[in-house]
Amino acid sequence: MVDISRNATVEKSAKLAEDVRVGPFSYIGPHVKIGRGCVIENNVTIVGKTTLGARTHVFPMAVVGAANGGEEGECIIGNANAIREHVTIYAGAANPTRIGHDNLIMIGSHVGAGATVGDHGIFANCTSIGPEAAVEDYVRTSGFCAIEAGVTVGAYTFIAGYAGINHDAPPFAMVHGFPMRVRGVNRENLRRCGFGDDDIRALKAAFRELFSDTSDQPDASVLNKLAKSASANAHVRRLVEFLRRHPVPEKED
Amino acid sequence: MVELSIIREIAPSAQIAPDAVIGPYCVVGPHVIVGPRSVLTRRVAVSGHTRIGSDNIFDEGCVIGGEPQDLKYAGGATMVIIGHRNRFGQRVTVHVGTEMGGFVTRIGDDNRLMDGCHVAHDCYVDDRTCLGCNVLLAGHIHVHSGAVIEDMAGVHHYVTIGRSARVGASTPVRRDVPPWTVFNGTEFDWAPPAVRGVHEEGLKHSGLSRDEQKELRRALSELFEDETALQTKIEQLVNLGVEGEVAELCEFCQRSLQGVYGRQRELYRGKMPPEAEKYLPPERRVDIRRPLT
Repeated sequence: MVDISRNATVEKSAKLAEDVRVGPFSYIGPHVKIGRGCVIENNVTIVGKTTLGARTHVFPMAVVGAANGGEEGECIIGNANAIREHVTIYAGAANPTRIGHDNLIMIGSHVGAGATVGDHGIFANCTSIGPEAAVEDYVRTSGFCAIEAGVTVGAYTFIAGYAGINHDAPPFAMVHGFPMRVRGVNRENLRRCGFGDDDIRALKAAFRELFSDTSDQPDASVLNKLAKSASANAHVRRLVEFLRRHPVPEKED
Repeated sequence: MVELSIIREIAPSAQIAPDAVIGPYCVVGPHVIVGPRSVLTRRVAVSGHTRIGSDNIFDEGCVIGGEPQDLKYAGGATMVIIGHRNRFGQRVTVHVGTEMGGFVTRIGDDNRLMDGCHVAHDCYVDDRTCLGCNVLLAGHIHVHSGAVIEDMAGVHHYVTIGRSARVGASTPVRRDVPPWTVFNGTEFDWAPPAVRGVHEEGLKHSGLSRDEQKELRRALSELFEDETALQTKIEQLVNLGVEGEVAELCEFCQRSLQGVYGRQRELYRGKMPPEAEKYLPPERRVDIRRPLT
């Protein structure tokens, strides 16, 4: 049975699965769909054309699917996400805002309109993901980092605290600072995600060749060499593919 | 006086002192204790096994006693204990402890937590501290009495902030901050986070005698003029036979050096911290003596 607090407001046309819980003083808009096992705590606002997958937990004071600049938009959120206190997720008007499965979005974080977030991400407090940005799977961020509008962050990448991601961040990396710099391979996260020692070693070797202390501009000849070598590790191939698709912009002087 | 009906939700089993004020749109959970004269202004959510002392003020949007953001937490009956006369700004969040980390998040007396502060699981904030806007304390942190943390500083897991230390705005704190010092810096290479001097304001309000302050100042400038060979300098000081505050300072720095990445509390990773015994209410101390699973 749906468990809606007598102090909550749920619009008649909202579609709630049968075991959804809605806490007091929450508001569920008319075009919202909420999947099985979702828990909406107190003082939450969910509006717009928002779809919540199964077992998603929305904590107090979060706002999901709010219109950005007055335009009604769409927001599609997958299964088993935790949307913590004071998080704001805007709905995208042109493209829907999409969040995958099993993400932990910590207190005070922000997901901009039309942004795409993959699966299994952990976003620390006050992470701000800009509008139309794309974040791939297994990304981890530290506090106060900002991902600029339209930027892509590759899978398994760790973003250090206070970093400003102003251009595309490669996968498997640790990135920091502003302007963004690549610091090395995100060994700890890769190990936790089940990467073997060989994979990590191969990625480390590739990173050493591609990025230098002074430049994030991948060496073009190295990139071509790695792309051609058929024996390359599958993850290295993925890294090379990403770097070819997302070239680092030349430095503006 | 006009008695307006207030829309709020207080669980019947919550223990609210008769002169505590629970404002509109507040939600108070079943295991919460709110002490005399504490004020939950508006739209404040208090859940979990949370004990709030007397004369505290919570502004709009505070969420106290929420589940920790630790993936290992599996719903145990862990606690938040808040002392007396604390002032919480808007949108402050305090999470309950975890079983592995000592069962309790504790905030002492006379603290000021400004808007958007976050105190994560198993943190101990002592007395008379001031946390600026949006200060983030990650898990297992100990902030000692009188410390000042300025706006938007982010503190790493297991860090200890020493007595009456001051952390600058937007500083990422990844290692222990020694007592009585000013610690600041940024992510950038030209100004990495480091000890930058003596926190004069802290010393002034410390209640220490003029001579003690002088001794401390001398020891601090000796140790942190530049931080190379800190270990040797501490040993030299200790060999000279220091006492009182200076001895405490030396001991603090020594412990930090013995920790991991300059964090003394790292040694409690996966162990029960000694403070748990002190801060948990007597009837809950049995929990920490159970073997950890």
